[in-house]
Amino acid sequence: MAERAFAVVGLFDSAQELIEAIPRVRARQVGRVEAYTPYPVHGIDAALGLRRSPLGGMVLVAGLLGTVTALSFQWWMNAVDYPIPIGGKAVFSWQAFVPVMFEVTVLFATFTAGLGMLFLLNRLPFFSHPLLSSKAIAAVTRDKFALAVEADGNGLDVDRARAALLTVGAKMLEVLPFPSREPSSLRFIFRATLGIAAACVVAGYGMYWTIKLFPVLPPMVHMQDQPKLNAYKASVFFKDGHGMQIPVEGTVPRGYLPYTISTQGEAGELVNPLPRTRQVLQKGRKAFSEHCAVCHGALGNGVPTLTSAYGAKPANLQAQTFRDYPDGKIYHVIMVGKNAMPSYAADLTEDERWAIVHYVRVLQRAQNARDEDLR
Amino acid sequence: MRAEAAVLPEALRPPVLTDGPVSLGGIDDQVLAFPAKKPPVAWYVAFAFTFAVMAMGFTLIGYTFYMGIGVWGNNRPVFWAFDIINFVFWVGIGHAGTLISAILFLFRARWRNAIARFAEAMTIFAVMCAAIFPAIHVGRPWLAFWLLPYPNERALWTNFRSPLLWDVFAVSTYFSVSLMFWYLGLIPDIASLRDRTTSKFRRVLYTVLSLGWNGAASHWQHYEKAYLLLAGLATGLVLSVHSVVSFDFAVSLVPGWHMTIFPPYFVTGAIFAGFAMVVIVLVVVRETMDLKNLITMYHLDTMNKIILAMSCLMGYAYVMEAFTAWYSMNDYLHHIFMQYITGTYGWAGWLTISCNVLIPQLLWSRRVRRSYAGMIFVSLAVTVGMWFERFVIIVISLHQDYLPSSWHIYKPTLVDFGILFGSFGMFFTLVLLFARVLPVIATTEVKVILPGAQPAHGGDHHG
Repeated sequence: MAERAFAVVGLFDSAQELIEAIPRVRARQVGRVEAYTPYPVHGIDAALGLRRSPLGGMVLVAGLLGTVTALSFQWWMNAVDYPIPIGGKAVFSWQAFVPVMFEVTVLFATFTAGLGMLFLLNRLPFFSHPLLSSKAIAAVTRDKFALAVEADGNGLDVDRARAALLTVGAKMLEVLPFPSREPSSLRFIFRATLGIAAACVVAGYGMYWTIKLFPVLPPMVHMQDQPKLNAYKASVFFKDGHGMQIPVEGTVPRGYLPYTISTQGEAGELVNPLPRTRQVLQKGRKAFSEHCAVCHGALGNGVPTLTSAYGAKPANLQAQTFRDYPDGKIYHVIMVGKNAMPSYAADLTEDERWAIVHYVRVLQRAQNARDEDLR
Repeated sequence: MRAEAAVLPEALRPPVLTDGPVSLGGIDDQVLAFPAKKPPVAWYVAFAFTFAVMAMGFTLIGYTFYMGIGVWGNNRPVFWAFDIINFVFWVGIGHAGTLISAILFLFRARWRNAIARFAEAMTIFAVMCAAIFPAIHVGRPWLAFWLLPYPNERALWTNFRSPLLWDVFAVSTYFSVSLMFWYLGLIPDIASLRDRTTSKFRRVLYTVLSLGWNGAASHWQHYEKAYLLLAGLATGLVLSVHSVVSFDFAVSLVPGWHMTIFPPYFVTGAIFAGFAMVVIVLVVVRETMDLKNLITMYHLDTMNKIILAMSCLMGYAYVMEAFTAWYSMNDYLHHIFMQYITGTYGWAGWLTISCNVLIPQLLWSRRVRRSYAGMIFVSLAVTVGMWFERFVIIVISLHQDYLPSSWHIYKPTLVDFGILFGSFGMFFTLVLLFARVLPVIATTEVKVILPGAQPAHGGDHHG
């Protein structure tokens, strides 16, 4: 064979014969010795003098990288960039991040183990490996064991290699030419990365437009288009085509009986319907401090918490005039207002108004206590 | 060595993993011939049937998308029903494959080699079926990608403290790892297919799929290391994936869900249901594809023993559930537990207990373990029982919540059933396709364990 040869390959029938032949061929130092087998054969690593696979270390590093990545991402997302406080717990609650840390660790480690083994260590895919186009390959992936003497830096002496293989009993010797191309794993990784990146861009744009257009198409809005009456939308249910209807004339909402009294004199006849219980007075104090105290003062003495910039002078409810007012008149003022004071009818319920009346009475009595009250 | 083995009592003798003599090339001729052959009529009939069922399922999923999930029976307070039951069921089915390929590999249980390929394929198909359900369950499935943490215009991140998000990571990792494991195992077998085929098209296809695998000893060295590492990594997943699924329940405060026993209970149930499914499929494969000499009665017997062990563990879990309900002195937990066995759905609770604990006890008998009728009956019972177990856990716990005014009797609709059967259709369609397209038995791994396959150093049975 004139051209430079890559390897001479011979076949054995059993793993036993192969493993016995390896040290004898290696001892002759004709070239790099490699075996091709249908399945992993025990003890062949030692016989061929292979170094330990570095995959374990690679996987350990990748796994730890996965742990750190997952922890730091979760910390940044859930404690820094968008903190979600739940039940007063710490935003960085690492215990809850453990499951995802575990999964990402496994994911990184798995891809390193699988793809690292194939692409980085074994330098696959290598479609132009000369053995793949040899006659021996069909036997090698089936039930025969091939021993190859391959060219090292100094080339290969085909005759010596052939002699070495023949001595140890190899059959069906074959000379393999050099591959037309080098292993293509780096090129493959580069191309695959480019392909994945391109696919991501296409998928991203596709997704963007799908998400923009898809949900407004008829089937997708099915759940929003319900056959219900919507206050601010058209409806075919009523003749006038409106969803919201004007109430029937004379409709009175609960708790809002019309107030027909127009003069203070008339109002004086009204009787406070609420009992003077602790509950009612507490309700009155709450409503008073929310609505009245801002002008009339917390004690009802007309000293407002508002600044003097407010022009009108609020009434001093402790004044004799107001202490002499019947309950109904105070109620009437709350209902319709007086001078600069607007009506509070819309802000307070009927019960709250009467409760305030009781509370005003309490304030007045507290500021003008009789001797027997103090005893 | 052989003579010595013969004097050992039967229980201690190394198992015979093949029936009759099998040669290295003979395995290839037997297993790798299928992808090249034209399938029999029965295969086409079966395929047409499963495909039709799958098509029905997907049509009904489309109908659900069109109408909204109101077409299902879910209603307050039973917001999780068939969708989540089916999800948990299918994820569980997958666990057998991972257990066989990972844990049994680490334990050097050599009998796993013949069945690992099929079990791993079933894992992948089961996880594919499972993945459908959370996606359609979200109501607007076209927005399901919101589950992923990606930078978005809403400036929001997902809540990593939610078990539902852990689930997204757990199931997607599980699928990726299973696929990687399966593919790595397939590479040498596809290389064998490549070198057998006479069709030019197939040769190119197999060459690309096998990445030009040539069986170099230096490659095998890294390959075996990678396989060992993946087995170790996947072992963690067997235990973690269904644990995380159980967190969906256990981390909530629903009585009947909020229990510490849930993770081991779910993992046990998953392996249990998965092995039952593997037994059903392997019996059919063994008979129809004439693989009796490679998948022997010993394999089925061993798997049935694992089913029996898991069944006893399930029984223990059920007893512990009852004990917890009683011992907690919690009225709500007690009430829900009584609903499991006496309420409207009490029949489902008893069906679960009968199918998962009582019927599998038949497997104590060697005759049942080694008879098709016996093992198929038990496995079908387990499949039904495990589906109903999830029904009991999910629907019964939800249908009577803390507020009696919102109690509700859940009734599934025809659409619910259609989608459930559709997922079975999809699973078996994929199984049928796999059986005809790829090597159903990991020929490389079986070659390793054949007598005489390894150089002698201390006995031929060890290898």
